[in-house]
Amino acid sequence: MAHAHSVKRHKGLMDWLTTVDHKKIAILYLWAGGFFFGIGGIEALLIRVQLAKPMNDFVSAQQFNELITMHGTTMIFLGVMPVIFALMNAVIPLQIGARDVAFPFLNSLGFWTFLFGGLLLNLSWIMGGAPDAGWTSYTPLSSTTYSLTHGIDFYTIGLQIAGLGTLIGGINFLATIITMRAPGMSFMRMPMFTWTSFITSAMILFAFPAITVGLVLLTFDRILGANFFDVSKGGNPVLWQHIFWIFGHPEVYILILPAFGVISEVISTFSRKRLFGYSSMVFATILIAFLGFMVWAHHMFTTGLGPVANALFSISTMLIAVPTGIKIFNWLFTMWGGQIRFTVPNLFAAGFIPTFVMGGVTGVMLASAPADYQYHDTYFVVAHFHYVIVGGLVLGLFAGLHYWWPKMFGRMLSERLGKWEFWTFIIGFHLTFFVQHFLGLIGMQRRVFTYLPNQGFDLMNLVSTIGAFLMGVGVIIFLVNVVITARQPVGVANDPWEDGRTLEWSIPSPPPEYNFKQIPLVRGLDAFWKEKTAGHKEMTPAEPVGPIHMPSATILPFLMSLGIFIAGLGFMFTSDDFGNNFLNFIFNNYIVTGIGLAITFGSMLWRSLFDDHGWHIEQDELNEKGVKA
Amino acid sequence: MTTPHAPKVTGALPHEPEKATLEGRNKILAFWLFLGGEAVLFGTLFATFLTLRNQVAEGPSASELFSLPMTAAATFILLVSSLTSVFAIQAMHRGNKKSLMGWLSVTVLLGLAFLILEIYEFSVYMIHDDYSMTTSAFSSAFYTLVGFHGAHVLFGILWIGILIGQLLKKGLTVVTAPKIYVSAMYWHFIDVVWVFIFTVVYLLGKAGV
Amino acid sequence: MEDQDKHVDSVIKRRHRQEGPQKHVIAFIFSIVLTLIAFAAVAAGGVNIAFTVVILLVMAVLQVLVQLGYWMHLKDKGHMIPIIFMAGGFFVAGTAIITALYWMWWS
Repeated sequence: MAHAHSVKRHKGLMDWLTTVDHKKIAILYLWAGGFFFGIGGIEALLIRVQLAKPMNDFVSAQQFNELITMHGTTMIFLGVMPVIFALMNAVIPLQIGARDVAFPFLNSLGFWTFLFGGLLLNLSWIMGGAPDAGWTSYTPLSSTTYSLTHGIDFYTIGLQIAGLGTLIGGINFLATIITMRAPGMSFMRMPMFTWTSFITSAMILFAFPAITVGLVLLTFDRILGANFFDVSKGGNPVLWQHIFWIFGHPEVYILILPAFGVISEVISTFSRKRLFGYSSMVFATILIAFLGFMVWAHHMFTTGLGPVANALFSISTMLIAVPTGIKIFNWLFTMWGGQIRFTVPNLFAAGFIPTFVMGGVTGVMLASAPADYQYHDTYFVVAHFHYVIVGGLVLGLFAGLHYWWPKMFGRMLSERLGKWEFWTFIIGFHLTFFVQHFLGLIGMQRRVFTYLPNQGFDLMNLVSTIGAFLMGVGVIIFLVNVVITARQPVGVANDPWEDGRTLEWSIPSPPPEYNFKQIPLVRGLDAFWKEKTAGHKEMTPAEPVGPIHMPSATILPFLMSLGIFIAGLGFMFTSDDFGNNFLNFIFNNYIVTGIGLAITFGSMLWRSLFDDHGWHIEQDELNEKGVKA
Repeated sequence: MTTPHAPKVTGALPHEPEKATLEGRNKILAFWLFLGGEAVLFGTLFATFLTLRNQVAEGPSASELFSLPMTAAATFILLVSSLTSVFAIQAMHRGNKKSLMGWLSVTVLLGLAFLILEIYEFSVYMIHDDYSMTTSAFSSAFYTLVGFHGAHVLFGILWIGILIGQLLKKGLTVVTAPKIYVSAMYWHFIDVVWVFIFTVVYLLGKAGV
Repeated sequence: MEDQDKHVDSVIKRRHRQEGPQKHVIAFIFSIVLTLIAFAAVAAGGVNIAFTVVILLVMAVLQVLVQLGYWMHLKDKGHMIPIIFMAGGFFVAGTAIITALYWMWWS
């Protein structure tokens, strides 16, 4: 049956547009995420410049609103989510001993929909004004009454498209982890990063449909004149808050859980010990995910839900500290008595633990509903969530990037520059956000575009701004490191950190496109470490060498996403007057929307009608390459 | 299982051709996951509807608007279509392509009948009662929830229609079988959602809850 | 290999015999009866409204169980993961609905 099909191999740009290889999609996610991260970072710096001194007029109030909205939205949906997906794509198939994800085509589709959604959202800057109602986009602030530009439409439709991509990615990883594990890898032998990614994907599956509905309702209110949030016609603005946070709170656990996974891998590797309390880690992850869906109303204590609801959500929120505490102690006990090496990934991991604990402690403070009336909408909240998202997630992502960089690109990042990066970033981070706790406690409101002098805010705001620029320096050092590394030849060892424990370190860096010449047999937790301690240099194969089936490259995911992008753009301007008959005609009659949908559904039809049989890498080709399995 | 991807095109199909390949099994599993997400999607729409169910502004209320016979007819049509899609899958398991295509066609026709009935119902509200999306919060929630379901039915009709065409062209193979099985799952799920819609929207609305 | 094929064939034949339409027709009739009860409870009117609500919800849940269990085969073996994820979906959907019913304070 295994006969060769003629293979069309694309080169250059076409290769990237058509690839279905999870390792290349990981790199696409990384660059796209890095790009949006850069935009979000520049927005953050502009915000800090504006707030550096009292009564500053660096930006106007409207511009400031647009900046804070886009900073939050970009960072959460377009900055850190894709970098998480980059790591998941790069690592999970390798960690579970698979040749690819369950649905390579969907993997590519997920990336392109995400990218086009993100581009659509950011087009708002040059197409009449960015969204300006905060990243939470509360109604009625985001209704057509108060937000006159198309900014919020870019927000609803852009996030809708990007969210679709995330949902597709989540389902793909769930299916991959459930069905594609190598022989012998039971659920309780999966590496911790795979476990947390699995749970994160499940949370994506259950949380994103809620925001899908929320965004549809807001879109309908704004474009079709529906009344979901319009009080004069019986609508209910609190409905938006509930829907947003039923999605929004799980979303922050979606973000942090993969970071927990990275930290678990890094700390265990560089302590040369197996992870302390593996099964309690798994249990804690599942518990966090479950409780994560039970706490959303703690964002709404001051909305007026009543004492019973507030008490219930206070308690459920505080409960989350228990599984999180289990994790913290497990990391500390993993390090305890280990042969610790402070490489750059481990520095970031070690920096993560105390920083994240501080964010967790302020989280428990905020969980107390009566106290929250004091903290609500102040810089205390801003400090809290930056401690968990930047101090937790971003440090975790840097740890993961430094750790897996040699596996992804075949080159080691410079350890020397990495250390500079770590220290500037973490010192800058604490300078920026530590003082914001106190700014909040003495009464500085969040989202204000300026403040009067002599209220005790001046010095702390200046310190915060200086810290933000120091973080910026840290990121620039990282970019310099990346550029310098990229000029070096590929050629690190399979296991460049020498203490690799999991399957990805048993294959070349970067791995060949089929990952494993022979699917490995897994004999225990930390499968590769187990073989090493048994004196083996490589994994025992679970199958003979044979031809390997590969999926074909395809442009269709790109076209489908392009179609949705065009349709979204068209739908947004259905009732606009362009002062041009032709433009009015094609937009106001849903012609642009129709063209976009035709491209998308046409591509879907094409995909359905013409089967992709893929192609095979033949046995002799595998042997020629002389690849160690 | 060294070449799980190689479709076995010739020879007798196994009893459950949809689960013969790894791709097929993956597809079915992933579709279950997707339906889990769909449950949240419709759950959120129901939550929206329940929140706004009495916010009729100046428009008519649910019990003034709805007509039970029309809903009963729609329900009956969709229930029968669920049964016919079960028969289609049974025909597929027997390897009887002709019977499979017959039952799929009946399913599509019933879906079409349901959709026409729904469009008629909406047009009655819109034209006769001058009752649109913009009338009240209740009307927005009603049209969105029921319309989302209707859009799912439309997508299902097109999908199954295309699959009938593929059966004609490619025959019943281990490649087409998972597609048909998954579309049947989708069709049942549409029926599950409709059960809640006729209960929560129409019957409870008519009862004046 | 041939023996195995023969064995598979015999299993297939046996399964074909087992999987008749009767079971599904019975499930269908059951669904229709449930639907009729629900419609009748509302059409009759005059019944206590809380009682009607309970009847309607019980009928809906039973009917959904028929669909999911029999027609989508969730009751069959090897469906642990679909059950977990469907339950997860219904659970989150349920929280949203309970929120709508209890915490939207002016409903």
